[in-house]
Amino acid sequence: MKRSQKKPLATVPPNGRPARTNSKSAGVLGAPPSRFYGTTLPGVKPEELSGTLIVIEGTDGSGRSTQIYLLTEWLESQGFAVQTMGLRRSYLVGEDIDALLAENAVTPMTLALMYSTDFFDQLERRILPALRSGLVVLADRYIFTLIARAAVRGIARDYLHGIYEIALRPDLTFWLNVRPEVAFDREFKKSQTISYWESGRDMSLSNDLFQSFIRYQSMIKREFEYLSKRHGFLELDGESSVSNVNRVLRKRIASHLGIRSTQYKPSHALSHLWR
Amino acid sequence: MVTTTPDISPAADPAPAKQPASKRAYPGALVVVEGIDGSGKSTQLYLLKRWLEIGGYRTHFTEWNSSPLVKSATRRGKQRRLLTPTTFSLLHSADFADRCERQIMPLLHGGYLVLADRYIYTAFARDGARGCSPHWLRNLYSFAPAPDITFYFRAPLDVAVNRILAGRPKLKYYEAGMDLGISLDRSESFRIFQERILNNYDQMVETDHFVLMDGTVRVNKLQKLMRQIVGEKISLQQFAPKKK
Repeated sequence: MKRSQKKPLATVPPNGRPARTNSKSAGVLGAPPSRFYGTTLPGVKPEELSGTLIVIEGTDGSGRSTQIYLLTEWLESQGFAVQTMGLRRSYLVGEDIDALLAENAVTPMTLALMYSTDFFDQLERRILPALRSGLVVLADRYIFTLIARAAVRGIARDYLHGIYEIALRPDLTFWLNVRPEVAFDREFKKSQTISYWESGRDMSLSNDLFQSFIRYQSMIKREFEYLSKRHGFLELDGESSVSNVNRVLRKRIASHLGIRSTQYKPSHALSHLWR
Repeated sequence: MVTTTPDISPAADPAPAKQPASKRAYPGALVVVEGIDGSGKSTQLYLLKRWLEIGGYRTHFTEWNSSPLVKSATRRGKQRRLLTPTTFSLLHSADFADRCERQIMPLLHGGYLVLADRYIYTAFARDGARGCSPHWLRNLYSFAPAPDITFYFRAPLDVAVNRILAGRPKLKYYEAGMDLGISLDRSESFRIFQERILNNYDQMVETDHFVLMDGTVRVNKLQKLMRQIVGEKISLQQFAPKKK
């Protein structure tokens, strides 16, 4: 009973943390901070979610992780508590997906549903509590990568949108757009090789790893172009410098959070990321 | 650099609830049994399977929640009680997708008579009772092939519940629906949970063309009826052993 998912929701005292409706920042966009696409997740009250969900999307090599490190430091320096999420980070099935990927024996539908389990485990048990407490959540990829990857493997887009219609709609979704060739250069420099899944080797596109990577990432990019229109992504040039991209991100996020200062210089610990 | 696009609603057109994948494009056939715990469905499917096996028919038996794929995750989730209605449902759908894509579909294409102990209707009834939206569940399982026959074994709630309670020392947490917070008493929680599931099944009888079977009829009489219906609805000849 104590662990029931519904009870704590129903018994959260209204004075626990005032909803943001009257605060200055809420007026910036004039809309409630968070909503669901379709049906609400069972047992969730959207009006309790006073935090902010910010999504950074983009392929490997688009600079997502770097930007999330920097944004976390900047937000913390501004006094905002930050929670992060990403793919395969759930306690429930994160390791199981790693094992499935290592085997290369999993079918696309099963993999898509395992990823959705991973996503909702993080969303329900980590992200929603964080948003109820007013935190800023930075998501290193979100449902869009999951939809794009499954869609290029032949799973219907409507089917995928149907699964994720109970997901939380982000307050801001940034897409760091880079050309596949640039992503290839960056990834290769980082790990001296190209991973099986990032090059879409399961799809038998080409025996040549470079060709396979380019073709796969181009397919993913086309899905993102469609998703960008459908979901209103804020598209950024991921080929621009780290500091430049970071400045644009900070500006947009600051305006959403209703803070004025966007000055930031990374600490010594993160200075190696700054270029 | 930033292009501000208006936040368009992605799910503006809620499509009508999807039915399972339509007309079959394979030589095999799929027979499914559904019903609450203690309704007698597994016993009846076992007897049907024995009948077909003894006759030498090309047949294969499959059951809900049997693949090793999600075993560790399910165990982890259940032991520490981490499963929400949504993750509970998704985990089972991943498990089912694996079985469907790697077992059921190849067998149907290979001309087998596939017998399934529980199918997608279990998810509709049970996850629906946990609070998942019926529309969402229908979409989630829309990749599953539609059964040729769905036998729905219906026994009065008390009969079914007593069959289960008599045979089990202790009901498990999720099995009893304790995650719903209905009652602190496991037996009581189980009863109410099963009642909700039963109601959900009842609502699918017409929409999903269930063949209603009275779970209180004597085992051998009911089996005779089941075999008769299978013989009428499926041309068993195509699954019969080839003559040399």
